[in-house]
Amino acid sequence: MADAFAIAAEWYDGTNAVRHSGELAWDGSGGFTLVSPTARDSFAAADLRFGETRPGQRVYRRESLPGFRLILPEDVPPGLAAQLPAKSDYGAWIDRLGLGKAAAIFGVASAAAVALFLTAPDWLGPRIPAGWERNIGEAMVGDFGGRICNTPAGDAALAKLLSKVDPAEERVRAGIANIDMVNAVALPGGQVLLFDGLVQQAESPEELAGVLGHEVGHVRERHVMTALLRQFGLSILLAGADSGVTNSIFGLASMGYSREAEREADEYARARLKESNISPLGAAGFFERMSEEYGDNADAPALAGWLASHPSSGERAEAYRDAADDGGNYAPVLTPDEFAALKSMCEEDPDVEEFDFF
Amino acid sequence: MHGMHDRQGADSAFVFEGDWREFARIAFPNLLLTIVTLGIYRFWATTRERRYLWSRSRFVDEQLEWAGTGMELFLGFVMVFVLFGIPYFGLSFVAQALIARGYEAWGVALSFGALIAIFYLLGVARFRALRYRLSRTRWRGIRGGSNDQGFGFGLSYMWKTLVGWIPLGLLVPWSMTSLWNERWSKMSFGPFAFEANAEAGGVFGRFLLFYLAPFVLFAGGVIMAGMGMLAGYGIGGEDGMAVGGVLGILGLILFFYLGLGLIAVAFYAKFYREVVGATRWRDLEFSFEATTLDWVKLLVVDALLVVFTLGIGLIFLSYRHWKFFMTHLEARGEILLDELTQSETKTARHGEGLLDAFDVGAI
Repeated sequence: MADAFAIAAEWYDGTNAVRHSGELAWDGSGGFTLVSPTARDSFAAADLRFGETRPGQRVYRRESLPGFRLILPEDVPPGLAAQLPAKSDYGAWIDRLGLGKAAAIFGVASAAAVALFLTAPDWLGPRIPAGWERNIGEAMVGDFGGRICNTPAGDAALAKLLSKVDPAEERVRAGIANIDMVNAVALPGGQVLLFDGLVQQAESPEELAGVLGHEVGHVRERHVMTALLRQFGLSILLAGADSGVTNSIFGLASMGYSREAEREADEYARARLKESNISPLGAAGFFERMSEEYGDNADAPALAGWLASHPSSGERAEAYRDAADDGGNYAPVLTPDEFAALKSMCEEDPDVEEFDFF
Repeated sequence: MHGMHDRQGADSAFVFEGDWREFARIAFPNLLLTIVTLGIYRFWATTRERRYLWSRSRFVDEQLEWAGTGMELFLGFVMVFVLFGIPYFGLSFVAQALIARGYEAWGVALSFGALIAIFYLLGVARFRALRYRLSRTRWRGIRGGSNDQGFGFGLSYMWKTLVGWIPLGLLVPWSMTSLWNERWSKMSFGPFAFEANAEAGGVFGRFLLFYLAPFVLFAGGVIMAGMGMLAGYGIGGEDGMAVGGVLGILGLILFFYLGLGLIAVAFYAKFYREVVGATRWRDLEFSFEATTLDWVKLLVVDALLVVFTLGIGLIFLSYRHWKFFMTHLEARGEILLDELTQSETKTARHGEGLLDAFDVGAI
C-alpha cells in the first residue's frame, strides 16, 4: 500500500465545459479524489485511462465517464506515476513489443500472407472439385447467350473431332461460338469454345484438332480454375478497377495461363494427336501463319488474346513439326464434307445469336 | 461560476501550435507500420495523426482533442466491405452473367442501379464522416455530433447534385451551398446546433468564370500559338514555323489546363469563405480567410514537396492541410461555459468507413 499524497491538477467533469483547478489526491488504497474550491469528485484508480500527451502535460480519461478529462503535468512524483496508467504511443500491441520488433513481426506475417495469396491459385485451383467448377462456369456464362452454333452435320463433325483429342470417359463439352475472332477458350466447368473466326481461317481439320486438343488439355490439367483464381485475386487487388460490365467475356477470352500451363496443354494436345494418328503438321501450319501474321513477340498483339498469353508462335510451330513422324502415314481426321460442315455451322444455324460489342 | 470569454478584438480564436519535426516522429513510424501491415495499420495511423493535429490546435484557451480510435475506423471499413463491397461484387457478377447469357439490357440496368446506389451512398458518407469527426472532437471534455443518420441527406445529395448539373451546370453553386447548409444545420456541438445559411449568390460570380474562361484562354492561346509560329519563322523559316507552331500549341494546352485549375482554386477559395462565413454556432460566428493566393501557395508547395521528396512528402500533406485550415479559420462571439453542457447526441461505434471507402474528405 503506497503512501497518500496530492498534486495540483486541472480537470473537466464531462457535464459542462467549466475547467476545475485544484488537487488530485491519492488515498493510498486504490482511489483518487479531486478537490477544488467549488467541486469534489472521487473515483477508483482502475477507472483511469491514458488519453494523450501534450507539451508538458498528460491527459487522462475515465472509462466510466467519457467526457471526463484530467490534465496533469508530465513530471509527477514517481510514487503517483506508479498509480497512473502507462503512456501509450501506438496502441497496445506495438507499445508492448516495441516499434522495431513489431514492424519485423508484421513484415514477416505480411510476406507470408502475400506468398500464400500469390501461390494460392496454383495449389488451390486443381483441388477445387470438378462439380464446383462446373457450377461456377454455369453461373458465369450459362449457355453463352445462345451464341453457340449448332447444325446436325456440324455437331456430328465436332463430336468426331473431340473424340479424337479427348479420349476420356466423360468428355468436355465443345462448341463453336458465333464470334468473329481468331480465338479459342476453355471455360470453367469443362466447356471448350472455338470462335468462328478461328474455324473460318483454318486450312485443315488437323489445325482445329490441334487447337481443340490444346484447350482440352487446359481442362484436363485443371488450368482453368487456377487461371480463374488468379484473375479473381487480381481483381481483389485492383479492387473495383476491374469491374466493368463488358469484362466477363473478354476477361474469359484473355484469361491468362502461365507459360508452363500453355506448354502442358501443348504437350497434352501432341500426345492425343499421336494416339489418334492425327498429323501435328496442321497445328504447326496454324502457328506458322499466326507467327507471320502477328509477329513472334508473345506480348505484342493485344487483341489476339489467345496468342498473347501463349509461348511464341514460331517456337510452338517447331515443337509441333518436330512431333511429326518422318514419312508418317496419317489418316485425315475429318472428311472434306465434315470439315465443310464445321465451317458453315454458324452461317447455317438459324437460331444463333449475333455477337456484338453492346 | 466561471464567466464568459469575450473574444472581441483578441487574437485568433483558433491557433495551431504544431511542429513538423514532431509530426515527422509520428508520420514516419506510421508509414513503416502501414507498409509492413499491407495497409491495415492505416486506420491507427490516421488516428495517431489526428490525435497529434487536434492536440496542437487551440481554441481560445484549451486544446482540441481527438477521441477517436483506430479500431473503430477499422471496424467502419470492415462494415462497409461486408455491407456494400460484397453485395456490389455479387451484383457485378450477376450483371456479367446476365450479359453473357444475352440479357444485355438487364445486365446494363443492374450495373446502372449499382451506380445509382453508389451515388446515394456517397452523399450519406459525406454526412456521416462529418458527424463522426464532430462526435470524436472534444474541447473541454465536450463533444459534438448529430442525431441524424444521414440517410435523408443522401437523397438530398442525389437530387440537388442532379438538378445542379441539368441547366448546363449553372445551378452547381446552389446545390453546393444548399448541401452545405443542410449538412451543417443537422450538426451540433454540446447542446447547441450549428446553423448555416450560405447563399449561392455569393459564389455565383466566381462560378461564371468557368464559362467565360475557356473563350478567353482559347483566344489567348491562339495568339500565343501564332506568336510561336512567327517567332519560329523568324528563327528558322518554314521548318522553324512548324516547330514554333507545335510549341505554341503545347503552350496553349498547358495554359488551358493551368487556367482551368486556377479558376477552380479561385472558386473554391470563394466558396469556403462564403460557406464558413455563413455558419454559426450559438453566439459564435465563423470565418475562413484564405485567399485564392493562399490556396495556390498551399497547392504549389504541396506539389513541390511531393515531387522533390520523391513522394515521401505525401505523409506531410495532412499536416499542411490541417495547419492551413486552422490558421485561416476564425471565430468571433462569446461562449458561456456554464451552458456548454455535454452533447446528448447518439454516437456510432464505428468510424467513417463509408467515406474512407470512397476516399473523399469530410469538410
